[in-house]
Amino acid sequence: MFRSLLKQVGINPERMYLGWISSSEPARFSEVVQAFADKVRELGPLETKQGTQNG
Amino acid sequence: MDRLAVTHQAVKQLLESGEVEGVLALRASGPSTILHLYRKGDDLSDLALWPKYNAPKIMDLLQRSAPDARLGMVVRGCEERGLIELAKHNQVALDHLRLIGVACTAEERDACRCAWPYPTQIDAGERVEGIADALVAEHDKLSLEERGEFWKQHFARCIKCYACRTVCPQCFCEVCMLEDSLWVHTGTMTPPFPTYHLIRAYHTVAKCVGCMECEAACPADIPLPVLYALLRRDAEEMFGYVPGRSVDELPPLVVETLPQGG
Repeated sequence: MFRSLLKQVGINPERMYLGWISSSEPARFSEVVQAFADKVRELGPLETKQGTQNG
Repeated sequence: MDRLAVTHQAVKQLLESGEVEGVLALRASGPSTILHLYRKGDDLSDLALWPKYNAPKIMDLLQRSAPDARLGMVVRGCEERGLIELAKHNQVALDHLRLIGVACTAEERDACRCAWPYPTQIDAGERVEGIADALVAEHDKLSLEERGEFWKQHFARCIKCYACRTVCPQCFCEVCMLEDSLWVHTGTMTPPFPTYHLIRAYHTVAKCVGCMECEAACPADIPLPVLYALLRRDAEEMFGYVPGRSVDELPPLVVETLPQGG
């Protein structure tokens, strides 16, 4: 549902990732976070007036 | 007999029967209306039906201060759906309530761009079919970038008056996240990133019945119901859930977590 909200207000839903990782899977956790961090870096900063501080 | 006369009659009968201690209905007040709790013997000549008010919220407040009162209420479609949704969240008790259903006229429907302008039981007025919100259809044609621009422009006008939150019948949390400085800075104008609006929009999911009160209350004319209608449509596609349709349908975002949470 949150992804749907992002889509409707014009924020790329790719900027959100939801995954279930067990606490016994540190390697997988590291992989997923790294992959998502790379993706967001590629997408670049979200264009708002003064960055992404709380409104 | 016209709609107002029929409503008048129904309210009068309900009060005289002694079944209820009061009936919540609109009362003419200058050029507008205000909600009034009519009691037995009251002069009903100033009873009115339009413009509407956020009646479910007022009923919620009334029942809080008088939980055992037997009350009646004149409801239109959106108000009945609002009450049903509130009942599911344990905010109002429907078994204490006697409803007098009023169907909206075509003009009222058009004013609210309403998809569902009648209650389940119509005691007064003629049922007119709902219409699709033209603003929603326009929004659907926009690309992701255009949507971003569309909402950015609208949200930039926001003065954070909290009127949309305050007027909303479905906003009943005692502690509001929008007043928590962790999420939303109070005392600053025009949020650079629409945290306020995203949180509010997300919190309307599976609750908002499209009563349009937030749009009417907004001093900046932000078309909030368009966003909430889009989410309502997405939630219906995903969960088959329509807020306010039936007391027996449990809200999907609550139901899903219960069996596992234990």
